[in-house]
Amino acid sequence: MSSSTLGFLVRRSSAAALLVFIVLSFTFFFIHLAPGDPTLVLQDPRLTGEQREAMRSAYGLDRPLAAQYLSWLRAVVFDADWGISYVHSRPVTEVIADYAMPTLLLAGAGLLIQFGVGLLAGVAAARHVGTSRDHLIRLTAMVLYSLPVFWTGLMALLLFSYNWSLFPPGHLRSIDAASLSPIARAIDLLHHLALPALVLGLAAAGGTARFTRNSLLEELGQDYIRTARAKGLSESRIVWVHALKNAAAPILQLFGLSLPLLLSGALVVEVVFSWPGLGRLTFDSILSRDYPVVLATTALTGVLVVIGNLVADLLHGVTDPRVRQ
Amino acid sequence: MLTLVSLLVLSFACQRGDQQGETATRSATPLRGGTLVVAISNDIHGINPLISGADSQTTAVLDRLFLHLFEEQPDYHEHPPTFAPSLVESFEWSADATLLELELRSEVSWSDGVPVTAEDVRWTWQAQTDPDLAWGYAQSKENIRDVEVTGPHSLEIHFHRASPSQLADLNEGVILPRHAWGDLPFAEWRSNESWFVEQLVVNGPFDLESWTRQEQIVLRRNEAFPRPGLPRVDRVIYRVVPQKQNQIGELLAGEVDFVEQVPPSEVGRLEQREIQILRFWARQFNYICWNTGRPLFADPEVRRALTLAIDRQEIVDALWYGFARVAVSPFLTSTWAHDPDLEALPFDLEASRRILQSKGWSDTDQDGILDLEGQPFSFELITNTGSPVRNDAAVMVQEHLRRAGIQVRLRQLEFNTVVSRALEHDFDALLGGWDIDTSMDLTYAFHTESIEDGYNFGQFSDPEVDRLIDAANLETDPIVRVQQLREIEAIVHRTQPYTFLWEPQRLSAASKRLRDATPSSVSPYFRLEDWWLAGVD
Repeated sequence: MSSSTLGFLVRRSSAAALLVFIVLSFTFFFIHLAPGDPTLVLQDPRLTGEQREAMRSAYGLDRPLAAQYLSWLRAVVFDADWGISYVHSRPVTEVIADYAMPTLLLAGAGLLIQFGVGLLAGVAAARHVGTSRDHLIRLTAMVLYSLPVFWTGLMALLLFSYNWSLFPPGHLRSIDAASLSPIARAIDLLHHLALPALVLGLAAAGGTARFTRNSLLEELGQDYIRTARAKGLSESRIVWVHALKNAAAPILQLFGLSLPLLLSGALVVEVVFSWPGLGRLTFDSILSRDYPVVLATTALTGVLVVIGNLVADLLHGVTDPRVRQ
Repeated sequence: MLTLVSLLVLSFACQRGDQQGETATRSATPLRGGTLVVAISNDIHGINPLISGADSQTTAVLDRLFLHLFEEQPDYHEHPPTFAPSLVESFEWSADATLLELELRSEVSWSDGVPVTAEDVRWTWQAQTDPDLAWGYAQSKENIRDVEVTGPHSLEIHFHRASPSQLADLNEGVILPRHAWGDLPFAEWRSNESWFVEQLVVNGPFDLESWTRQEQIVLRRNEAFPRPGLPRVDRVIYRVVPQKQNQIGELLAGEVDFVEQVPPSEVGRLEQREIQILRFWARQFNYICWNTGRPLFADPEVRRALTLAIDRQEIVDALWYGFARVAVSPFLTSTWAHDPDLEALPFDLEASRRILQSKGWSDTDQDGILDLEGQPFSFELITNTGSPVRNDAAVMVQEHLRRAGIQVRLRQLEFNTVVSRALEHDFDALLGGWDIDTSMDLTYAFHTESIEDGYNFGQFSDPEVDRLIDAANLETDPIVRVQQLREIEAIVHRTQPYTFLWEPQRLSAASKRLRDATPSSVSPYFRLEDWWLAGVD
């Protein structure tokens, strides 16, 4: 790794850490300032004020907000201790570990579909610009991008699960998955993953396809492309090797920006498809004022977004020598 | 607590019995075996009932794992609810009703074979009342002075005083295993939920086979359960399906057998597909709470005029398809405490106008809104998001009051924000609902002491009501107590601190193979061990 790349990584990582810290601090104060607290949401209405105060004391909520913030920050920074979930009554890291994998699986599969389908469709549209194929791809992309994921998910369930029984009606696995062989379990997982990942990925693929098409069209109009054609290079090689490489920079930026959108989209898909994951956990935690879990999921999401952007920048550097310099 | 109530509606098909508007699945000679699959909206919060909050879903599941001392019966229509022995074999009161002698059933054991003893009961009480643990229902134990073990299966419960809710208070919470969970100090319980799962032993009809968080909870028959032949099903799987529409879709697809709180719009479709619809009267009423601390609602006559101007029957018909009824008072009309001669105030727009006119309200500037000393009769009505039926009801109330010359500004707020503003009395009027128990103790929302320390959101204060509530909470003579409660009901009815809107029924849907399911207001899974599946091998 060159010293310039290392310096770039250090600069970006420092900025990213600062960004995550600011986001977490804002989240801490905003969630604590929101009306209500866990003792109101979780407990019996007959709880007296004295008992509620005892509970607040047990949760450490009776101390000044600044003191709560400092002790929380100290525990996170020095002990990597994210606290105890008020709702789940166990360490937050354990709770997050339970829910992170299904979300990462779903978002990862969605990302794969988004960029796989989006790139292919965008390239196909650019190569046949102005033709009926181009119009069809653009129209389909627009429709996919415009439809709310919630509605698409419900329709997909209705048609492909309830009516035609092609896919299971949501969930991460079948009821009896534990009794299956490892291979059968993997197939069962993929079967359950297919529909929600398609719904999540295809919606975003519409935007990626249009982005790719426009970016590629700009490159295909450049002089070096004309030269390549004059030299007799095949159209496929011109598009896939030369033009797409130079058109990749904005698409890679889109990749970084897609992560937060996919994570928020995953929340909707998780609810519609009864998929366990961070989205549902975060949503429920906000409603029940489970502050430690909200802060930890925010941190995790922030770190993922930062990593996504960092990877996008690095890939940009790989594809564009000017950035490396 | 204010409740987020889903749309409910009721119907009936293929049921046996229809007393008091409550139904159950059809019956026949029971079969043993099979797996019952139940759709639930949320995962449970934990396996230890004392640290898992007041979430009804969690309670419904954990009550299948652990036994109470008694089993509350859903028979409170004509008299206070009775309690059938469960862990208790027999009991005897002292003459002054401050001492209760209990004899536990000696044949009941934990799933690891260790007998359930009186020590478990005493230790559970210590956990329930431990200040470090801060159990949410600890107040129910305040009247218990001591729990004394007098033998392996014998106990004496010492109360501070006799009260009508002694058995209900004693029965609050299930009995937990001291030998399995006693090693961990109470102060550490709230941070070690996983430990309780690892050390779990049960004494209820079912044992925990597996729990995949946010996916499913699998219960299997507890072979050590002492009632012969029960439970009838081998396993119960609670499948987490957050969306109600998906729950119904899975029911119709044959993936699940039982869905709770079915929306009214689905009843017809479900009946056409031979799905059984089960119903019972929920222990819930919905209301508009008037903030009597604000001048606009300080006068009982004005509050009465507001109630008269709201067509509550139209709300019930339009939003509940008739499967609810107009509420009369904080005592549900299906309970023993309600005075059957007391009827809901009628919808009478003319009477409402006359009252308001007598109080000086008139439309002097001809803008369609009543005014008094230059101030229009205009206020904000808040309700929580996430409850379509409440939001629709708020719109109907707005229209009804507009006809009376009153301007209502609607505002939907997130649930926690509504609760927070209600506790701070920072609202004009609030459309909400109460899920209530059978104690008939109205202290929570109608006693003056609950204005500062409780849920008397509307700051209602009536010395006579306070006196009667206090007296009724100590009165052990049921005849005298009924008179006291009905006096309270009459005052509340007359002064209308709330406009009582509706009492809903609660609908469940069951696959046609499910038999002897008897959801009730005690629990939607009441006596789950008796439920069985037709067509199993």
